[in-house]
Amino acid sequence: MAQTNPPFMSGVPELLLLRLLDQNEMYGYELVRSIRAATGEAISLGEGVIYPVLHGLERGGALRSRRRSVGGRTRVYYSLTHKGRQRLTKLQNDWRRVQRGISNALENPARAPA
Amino acid sequence: MPRPDLAALEQDLLRFGMAARQVRRTLGELDAHFDDLVEDALTTGLDRELAEWQALERLGAMQDIATAARTRLELRDWAHRFPYVALVVYPLGCLAALPAAPVIAYAGDLARWTACILLGGFVTAAMLLLLQLTITLG
Repeated sequence: MAQTNPPFMSGVPELLLLRLLDQNEMYGYELVRSIRAATGEAISLGEGVIYPVLHGLERGGALRSRRRSVGGRTRVYYSLTHKGRQRLTKLQNDWRRVQRGISNALENPARAPA
Repeated sequence: MPRPDLAALEQDLLRFGMAARQVRRTLGELDAHFDDLVEDALTTGLDRELAEWQALERLGAMQDIATAARTRLELRDWAHRFPYVALVVYPLGCLAALPAAPVIAYAGDLARWTACILLGGFVTAAMLLLLQLTITLG
């Protein structure tokens, strides 16, 4: 089974989903493929876990969904709402802040208080 | 033929309190995702059984999906999100509304009875008035 990284995954799928849906509306499988491509497969997760995340974001008003019939199959396409864009901006800022903090700690560990 | 154990996941999600409609939707999307994974694996030259095993592995453990759903409290139905309302306020409200139930159920009959009583009262009053006038003027 593909190795996953659950301790670091909290909030990451949500951020990635919002970022990808900011560009295009997509359905679940398409989103997972885009995550793999966009992250160079660095982020590995059981693909099914994106559905509770998508449904939770939709319930919270960050996403909207619509059913579309494509090639004889019905797909549920997700797209970002205004509220979703606001949430994406907040999550991106949070992530960059954490990223800077960790980078600083890795590069200058001696500056950390004893 | 390996397939995701959606029946077990369904039970998990319902136990967690997810609304039945939401559960059906989740299972439907997972099923479609599995079919997409199998189709993609088949295009790489795998035989069907291997493709299905690979798809199952990539979809992830049903337990992980259930765990992911449990962290999203907003997916629970209202009775699980607001148990005090469901278990206390709602039954008390129903109990309080109980006396009104027959009135609502027999609203048509009650309206007819009320109309009959009012009409009877009006006719009686008119007859008494006529009698009074006859005595007074007579």
